[in-house]
Amino acid sequence: MRSLFCCLLLAFCSLLAKAQDNYAVDLIPKELLPYASAVIRNQTTTVEVKDAGNTFYHIQKAITVLNSNGDDMARIVLFYDKANAIKNIKGTIYNEFGKPTGKFSEREFSDESAINGFSLYEDSRVKVYSPANGSYPYTIAYEYDIKSKQTLIVNDWEPNSQPGMAVEKSSYTFICKPDFTIRYKEINMPTKMVTGITKEGLKTYTWQANNIKALRNEPFSPPAETSLSRVKIAPKDFTYAGIKGSYSNWNDLGRWIYDNLLNGRQQLLPETVEQVKQLTKGITDDKEKARILYEYMQKKTRYISVQVGIGGFQPYSATEVDRLNYGDCKGLVNYTQALFNTAGITSWYCVVEAGSNKKISMLNDFASMDQGNHIILCLPFKNDTTFLECTSQKIPFGFLSGFTDDRTVLACTPQGGKLMHTPKYTATQNTQSRKAEFTLDATGNLTGDMQTVYSGTQYDNVEELVDEPFTEEVKTLQKMYSNISNMEINKIDLKQSKKPMPVSIENIKFKAAEFASADNGKLYFSLNPLNRLRPVKDVRNRINPVYINRGFTDEDEITYTLPAGYRLDTEPVRRNLSTPFGKFKASMTFADGKITYKRQIEIKDGTYTKDSYAELVDFYQKVADSDNYTVSLIKN
Amino acid sequence: MRKFLPNLLAIMLFACVSQAQDFQFGKFTLDELQQKTYKNDTSAHAYVIDEFGSTKIDVSASDHISMTYKYHVKIKILDSKAFNKGTVEIPLYDNDNTTDEIDDIKAVTNYIDDNGGAQTAELSPSKIYRVTENKYWKQVKFALPNLRNGCIIEYSYTKTIPGFYRFPSWEFQSDIPKIHSQYEVHIPAYWNYSASIRGILKLTTNTAEVERECFSSHGAKCDCSYLRYGINDIPAFIEEDYMTASKNFISAVYFDLQEWINPYTNVKQRETKEWKDIDYNLKHSDYFGSQIKKNLLSPYIAPVIAGKTTEMEKAEAVYSYIKKNIKWNEIYAKYSDNVRKALDTHTGDVADINLALVAALNSAGIKTEAVLLSTRSNGLVNRLYPVEREFNYVIAKANIGNDYYLLDATDPLLPFGMLPLKCINDQGRVMSFDEPSYWIDLVNRQKKVSTNSLSVTLEPNGKLKGTMVVYSMGYEGYQKRKAIKKFNTIDEYVENLDEKLGKVKILKYSFDNLDSLEKPLGETYEVEIDAYDNLNHDRLSFNPILFDRIVNNPFKLQERNYPVDWGMPSIERYTITMRLPDNYTVESAPESASIGLPNNGGKFLTQFSNTDNVFTYSNIIQFDKSVYEPEEYPYVKELFNKIIASEKAKIVFKKKS
Repeated sequence: MRSLFCCLLLAFCSLLAKAQDNYAVDLIPKELLPYASAVIRNQTTTVEVKDAGNTFYHIQKAITVLNSNGDDMARIVLFYDKANAIKNIKGTIYNEFGKPTGKFSEREFSDESAINGFSLYEDSRVKVYSPANGSYPYTIAYEYDIKSKQTLIVNDWEPNSQPGMAVEKSSYTFICKPDFTIRYKEINMPTKMVTGITKEGLKTYTWQANNIKALRNEPFSPPAETSLSRVKIAPKDFTYAGIKGSYSNWNDLGRWIYDNLLNGRQQLLPETVEQVKQLTKGITDDKEKARILYEYMQKKTRYISVQVGIGGFQPYSATEVDRLNYGDCKGLVNYTQALFNTAGITSWYCVVEAGSNKKISMLNDFASMDQGNHIILCLPFKNDTTFLECTSQKIPFGFLSGFTDDRTVLACTPQGGKLMHTPKYTATQNTQSRKAEFTLDATGNLTGDMQTVYSGTQYDNVEELVDEPFTEEVKTLQKMYSNISNMEINKIDLKQSKKPMPVSIENIKFKAAEFASADNGKLYFSLNPLNRLRPVKDVRNRINPVYINRGFTDEDEITYTLPAGYRLDTEPVRRNLSTPFGKFKASMTFADGKITYKRQIEIKDGTYTKDSYAELVDFYQKVADSDNYTVSLIKN
Repeated sequence: MRKFLPNLLAIMLFACVSQAQDFQFGKFTLDELQQKTYKNDTSAHAYVIDEFGSTKIDVSASDHISMTYKYHVKIKILDSKAFNKGTVEIPLYDNDNTTDEIDDIKAVTNYIDDNGGAQTAELSPSKIYRVTENKYWKQVKFALPNLRNGCIIEYSYTKTIPGFYRFPSWEFQSDIPKIHSQYEVHIPAYWNYSASIRGILKLTTNTAEVERECFSSHGAKCDCSYLRYGINDIPAFIEEDYMTASKNFISAVYFDLQEWINPYTNVKQRETKEWKDIDYNLKHSDYFGSQIKKNLLSPYIAPVIAGKTTEMEKAEAVYSYIKKNIKWNEIYAKYSDNVRKALDTHTGDVADINLALVAALNSAGIKTEAVLLSTRSNGLVNRLYPVEREFNYVIAKANIGNDYYLLDATDPLLPFGMLPLKCINDQGRVMSFDEPSYWIDLVNRQKKVSTNSLSVTLEPNGKLKGTMVVYSMGYEGYQKRKAIKKFNTIDEYVENLDEKLGKVKILKYSFDNLDSLEKPLGETYEVEIDAYDNLNHDRLSFNPILFDRIVNNPFKLQERNYPVDWGMPSIERYTITMRLPDNYTVESAPESASIGLPNNGGKFLTQFSNTDNVFTYSNIIQFDKSVYEPEEYPYVKELFNKIIASEKAKIVFKKKS
């Protein structure tokens, strides 16, 4: 065991020395080239915690750009703010043969505000360097330091973070005093961590990752957060913006957040306290009280992001939101909580990683401050836990939508942190159910009348239409039903029922000239112009398992009344598919001058083996074929 | 559509001068507060009750000439969809020499509280944020407090702009309607600007008066012209799809400095009065004329043209050299500080690259001029009188023999003589330093042309086997090459294509002229297509359009007020020849279609022919014009309807009995 350890170390040192000397492109192992636009030749990241309020990062990186697609991957993007300063940037450009051809330093970096599109103000800024060279391939090698005045968050190490980039060598070393306690979490790490002692007597933890091939963008892949290699580190004792703290688990962290960032910030203006009393007078049910106060908050406030204060972690005080009537997610949750407190209702401030395209949970076994990007509010009613999204003026009480559903969140309570799971909207709840009556005349013109009922996360499908004038609604609907050319809508009726499992109902009446085309005495038209599945791209040599983020069920029924004297000239469509990830059923009947088309599809969320991808492609293709079916009618 | 009314300033003498017409801050009526809709536009989520701006040239506290721009607006917010109007961002120019300043920011929200009383909430100064965006721009941002449906927000500020070159323009029209919008300017007689009014709205106020001795500095005194522009009942400007820059159509007034007299020396200086002034300035400027001087890049160019004999060969070699050696940093510019530095660091903006190209071509002995232009998204340039700042891009015009070529070296995939679509925007100004500058049409001589021919055999197992040959010419070739270069290798491109095509399997492929940018790009694929499970059917139907069938009409509007602008004519040809098994024959074929646009503007044709068990179907979609005017819109839309209808039709074949 011991001898193996030494060998590894030796090998590591010798490789390092050699790689630094020579960046000739022909030294890149051939197996790293497929799908790669850039290759990280060697990266070493050293993080040293000097003391609780002082972390020092040293990053050295050499990256070879193989073609113009790799230029962006070699871009150097360095964020900084008051607590994290960038120092000593220097770099060299090498040609294909590893010969230096130029140098760059901080002067060549542009300096910009790092404000998100949705923020009014943030403290953070960014320095950017975009490398360029007359020809490809080329290599840039550079190094820089980050001095960070905090130890609450240690940047994760991700040896390979993006598709199209291969990694020849990368290592990560964390250095601290021997009595400094850390917890770490390895996610998909191929190699084990090695500990050591420096000659100054400091403790080191080292991870190494070599020869990682470039990934492709594979559709239906699990989120990168769960599928790529990564190391997370969390110190036990930390300092943040001058506040000291200590945590080893979610309970400790939740308590620290509650005690230091939230507690005491829930004072309301006297008139608001009075307002709360008025609004809830005579109501006994806590949930009903909460609903009334939630709607009061929705009517009164709006969402504006201002990331200042303690690293963007501390909410505006409730008094401030009360005065301004706006706030970011933290401020609005804290304010809603203050309203609830006044009415004697308990609620918890919850940290969540929000996003509709992927569901990321707090890691059950690893507490850290860098997880989560959004705040929601939890009402822990007995047997009826309710979560509230506080940044929308329209969202129904108790409905989270796909933005924060089905994931583990951290509730920060006076008793400490608690992991909770938000409700899941299942494939059978996320429904879209449609009934259409279409009448076709002999020239191919269509008159239609249809009703669509959306529920679960599909409730949001019509969100674009809500509160818009008729002309805008028409434009949006024409895009939603783009397979019906010349759609002329005469009537739109939209209803929303704002329950925790909300429902939207859309009724429209329309005409479409030349819906069917006449050709050689025949009439052709698309049987299913309303709801079509697109085929998915095949991927050979797939690496990732198949991941479906959210399930849904769609039902369509269209009745076509045909012009007199026509009969069917094609075989009716009939499909019945059943796979582990989805079911599909389509049928068409012709009787009494009418065609009745029924289509039902259910896609089930979940993770499936990578081998099942071929079956998924086949399923989508068959559904798409069926959806593209063209009816041809012939005169009797 | 585009209208530039020259509105030359006539200074008239009036005895009495009225004072600034700004409306009073913080005043509103209960009626305004209680309005639930806007009577002139019931679809509006908000409307401007009043808007006032003024600009005055004066002497600043630091004793420099500067412009004081005041802005004041009062907006009624009808519902929460317009809450974004309550987040205000004011850009301030900020670089080493000159910095805009902002003062007197006042902002209030008037609203009806829960008890039905009218309330006013003021913006606290601590909630005004200053952000440094980048090297050149700062922003001042704030969010108005206490927004709720029906509230009225009001804010005003004063911006001090050093100098007198960036005279603020005024847009009467925005995305919400306005009851009234007014702009007033006070221009001392030392300065002479031309004002131009764009858009189709008529001014309801348009007056010019004289203010006596309104400007005085160190003994210099003069009168001012006091000009007022106002419009009542301004409709919202609604953007539509497939439109060029909205700036081309929005009602606004712009000011351009023509000439000025130094108040202290009385020396007259002409600005953009005539092209010959601009020509002279640019020719002698460090950032333009000096960058394209003959022989500037000779040391770089000598080896590039060594051994090349004809001008064309030399020009092509120089063009490739510049494309390869300076990578575009995605920044638009028309002036360059140092083209040599761009060549040395291998990176630069549009001007660095294309002025380097002009210099390099001149160094190679090819007479080349720089062409200033405005890109599509930047809007059309005013052609009545010169306005230098309306240009945002520069390209090269190489004169070879009796012909010329417009060149843009920012994209390595552009063939010699082709412009990217963004540059094809009306006309550009050729800055020829030997003769006066002149306008030139920005057009591509090449059309966008593709031909796709398939030759397949239906095999007994139900599969189609054969070859597909695709030729992409002109702009189509450029776009295709761009798509291919997104992949690291051709193998990866074809793999992706194969994966995308679903039922089509690519067995073999070859490419022609991938790197010969001036030639048609050829792709040949040996394919196998899963057409049928088997051939155990008496009748089979077949849609001959196997790829990219048009199923959606891109045009949805009943009518439209702006042209459809595609930038260049296009032709798409498609042919499929199919051999059926010997025991099959064609039962019915689709009708041939033949539809044309008025005035030979374009056409859609299909053809079908068969002999026993072999048939050929072909179609052509052709647009002969780059721009279709609103009157032609219904025909273009209808042509698409016909294409969609025709591409639904099927060929039926049956077993011979």
